[in-house]
Amino acid sequence: MMKNMNPVWRGLLFLVLFGLVGYALGLGVDFLVVRSLRFSGSVPSLFTLLLGFTAFFFGLFGYRGITRGLVWQVVGTLLGGFFVAGIRAIMGLSAFGDFFFTEPSWVFGAFVGAISFIFGVGAVDDWVKWARGIDTPEEHEEHYHGWEKYFAVSLDHKVIGIQYTVTALLLISIGGLFALIFRTELAQSSLQFLTLDMKLFGQNGPQLYNTLMSLHGMIMIVSILLGVAGIMNYVVPLLLGAQDMAFPRLNAFSFWVAVPASVLLLMSLVLGGFDTGWTAYPPLSARAPVGMQMFFLGVFVAGWSSILGGLNIVATVLRMRAKGMTAFRMPILVWASIATSIISLTATQLIGLSFQLVMFQRLFGMGFFDPAKGGNPVLFQHLFWFYSHPAVYVFVLPGLGVISELLPVFSRKPLFGYKWIAMSSLGIALVGFLVWAHHMFTSGMNEYLRVPFMYSTLLVAIPTGVKFFSWVATLWKGKIETPTPMLFVLGGIVVFLLGGLTGPPNATVSVDLHLHDTYFIVGHFHDTIFGGFVFPFFAALYYWFPKATGRRMNETLGKIHFWLMTPAFFALTLGMMRIGLLGMRRRIVDYDPTMGFDTYHLMLTVMGYLIALSVLIFIYNFFNSINNGEKAEGNIWNSRSPEWQVPSPMPTHNYDQPFEVVGEPYDYGLAGSKYVQFIEKKK
Amino acid sequence: MTHTSDKSSAYSQGITIFVYLAVLTALEFFVAVTIGFVQIMVAVAVVKAALVMYYYMHIYKLNNDNEGEENSYEYKTGTNRLGLWLFLLSDSFVFGALLVVRFNLLGMTRPPLSQTLGLIVTAVLLISSFFMNRAEVAIENGDRKGFKTNIIITLVMGIGFLLGVVGVEWPNAIAEGVWASKNTYGAVFFMMTGMHAFHVLTGIIFLLIVLRNGSRGLYDEKHYPVEAVAVYWHFVDLVWIFFYPALYLIGVLSS
Repeated sequence: MMKNMNPVWRGLLFLVLFGLVGYALGLGVDFLVVRSLRFSGSVPSLFTLLLGFTAFFFGLFGYRGITRGLVWQVVGTLLGGFFVAGIRAIMGLSAFGDFFFTEPSWVFGAFVGAISFIFGVGAVDDWVKWARGIDTPEEHEEHYHGWEKYFAVSLDHKVIGIQYTVTALLLISIGGLFALIFRTELAQSSLQFLTLDMKLFGQNGPQLYNTLMSLHGMIMIVSILLGVAGIMNYVVPLLLGAQDMAFPRLNAFSFWVAVPASVLLLMSLVLGGFDTGWTAYPPLSARAPVGMQMFFLGVFVAGWSSILGGLNIVATVLRMRAKGMTAFRMPILVWASIATSIISLTATQLIGLSFQLVMFQRLFGMGFFDPAKGGNPVLFQHLFWFYSHPAVYVFVLPGLGVISELLPVFSRKPLFGYKWIAMSSLGIALVGFLVWAHHMFTSGMNEYLRVPFMYSTLLVAIPTGVKFFSWVATLWKGKIETPTPMLFVLGGIVVFLLGGLTGPPNATVSVDLHLHDTYFIVGHFHDTIFGGFVFPFFAALYYWFPKATGRRMNETLGKIHFWLMTPAFFALTLGMMRIGLLGMRRRIVDYDPTMGFDTYHLMLTVMGYLIALSVLIFIYNFFNSINNGEKAEGNIWNSRSPEWQVPSPMPTHNYDQPFEVVGEPYDYGLAGSKYVQFIEKKK
Repeated sequence: MTHTSDKSSAYSQGITIFVYLAVLTALEFFVAVTIGFVQIMVAVAVVKAALVMYYYMHIYKLNNDNEGEENSYEYKTGTNRLGLWLFLLSDSFVFGALLVVRFNLLGMTRPPLSQTLGLIVTAVLLISSFFMNRAEVAIENGDRKGFKTNIIITLVMGIGFLLGVVGVEWPNAIAEGVWASKNTYGAVFFMMTGMHAFHVLTGIIFLLIVLRNGSRGLYDEKHYPVEAVAVYWHFVDLVWIFFYPALYLIGVLSS
């Protein structure tokens, strides 16, 4: 009976069954250590999560690919944990603790688990072979076909791009769900369901609020990194006319390393959580529960994905361009990808290091950020923001590239000021390295740093302004069509404008001293991220979906998605900024009813649900259209870009005939102009 | 000096560069114990790094090998070379950030460490880079035996460095009162040497791999793997060129 079942149903059945088994097991294991049954404790929840999650993929896919990775991760985590527990027992220290393992056990175990996943899933098989002196075939054969190839290691950049994208959508849903939970609590002043009496995963209500709020931040950030990587992976080689990325194995590695990282991030929720916000400032992060360490490790491992992904993009663009594609004939999205990748290649190391230093401070008592030992907590903030500010440009630059890429297609006009746009992406990326301390105006850093960082931050407005100028000029007198992708492009421009205009006030020291840590900031960055990532991401998905599947997403549902999300989003962020100006602090579970924010907060919560509903519609549309969408095998957007000159879905090895660039990329509406020309194969 | 592929001149170039590096290191040490002029030490380190990058790591090769067909071995090697350098660029941000941590926390003071030991391990790593260079030249000229000998010497010196730092220097530092959980001197010292030692360890693993495969003749034709390991190994040396003065030479001794 099991064999004939629909794999998804079988997976869900396994999820429930093994989730229950895991719960019972966790309850028993926990009982052995603490001698009491803790029904809503961390250990049963963790076992439920790990076993259920693994069993789901086992039911779906059998013991191969991702399932094997997850099994290895669970086993690796346990082995690593027991290893350290054994050492601790020999040293006469406590081997087990409140969360079953002690903190060092969890850290080591989780790290071993993440490495085990990589080996288990098979992402390093070829490298191991090379190290053993065995050659592997140059042309990679797909072992799986149909939907199955998305659940195992594939070297095809298109498969990896889709893997990234779907994982990003999954994480966006999880992060969004967290937001809905704490938004619901915030709808009214005083505590409603996240109360002091409730207990879940070893945390009371307000603690759980802190964990969910912090994880909402980081899970969304990781999902954005994956979403960006998804778009770049799928589209950049096609735009360049390459058969694949420069390093296909590294590409697969970059994706698969993000999966155990996501598992680690989710583990932090159940292992006691943490209450620092996504920024994890010490000294608070130096004494938060063990969940903090899982968070650090998760981000650390996800960082590898980002670094190596960026490396791959840079190498691909530098080495794999089609004939005739000189620097200023590259599609604008390629420029944006380069700018993004330069940041993620270099700066990401600093968030990794800063988190590593706090991890070691907790594990070995190394006093980097501990003033009692001569450490300096502000140093952490410098290291952290040196990545985390440029990171926002990692999030938005590809999105802005998508906007510039799609605008001329739907305005039927050449892109205005191509070179300026290309350079502005690089400009934003480079200036972005010089602005980090504007997050620290109230942190007690040296005062003489404030004004230089204020001016360098204001400088970012110039290349960004160049982009806006070009977009408006491209739209001017264009023959504008508004299918769903274009709606999201236009929405993205307006929302990003709002985010951009609220930026300079935050950068100005005198104003920031008032605005710092208020909902104004929350509104501002949601505007920039929605305008710079979410809207263009949806635009890109609607736009390139037919390329990947040969079918298009439903237009009506797409328009409902847009017209539901956009007004709700405006109400959400404008409301946030309004109460922020009036003094609403961010990151707090409750607020004073006499401040009069109750109505606003209720409105914000309703808007949050509306956005969630619109995304739900999108997700339905996305998965339903894969098989049931209207057929769209030709150049449905009437684009000049090379990938649309061949039928959809894209063939396995991309272009059967290589092409040569013979003209400018965005000369829409100019008679007789041509961007690419396919080269006839020599017989 | 020009880049050369001829074996004996490549060997002698390796020796010349090694002598330069050794003299510069001695100069650095001399400056540290006499006038203690930080700018000179930094300048010397930068010159040493430039020598290593140009003559040992052959950074100029990034400019070659752009010819050939897209699927040819030469072209792919060029791509691999670029990838490796991009990785090293990324990695150098970690080490750069560690230097920032060191100067932020300790300022112009330095931990009480054994100067003799510091000089010895530095010399060992430097000499290992010299032999790594010889191994690379050997395999490029089809001399499998020379490759094997030199890579074994590199390996032994690498392990010697690792043991010197972890097995001798660490206990020695602890005896001097520099331990990880006591103060920032300990924290910084163990973090910097630990991160570097981790890279040495991975380098040793790579050396073992190319030694095994190289002795079986796998790299006689396509010797890029050896070049890659050599570049990585020199990079580890390059990092130490900056870490050595930062930990041992620059600043006033803390009491």
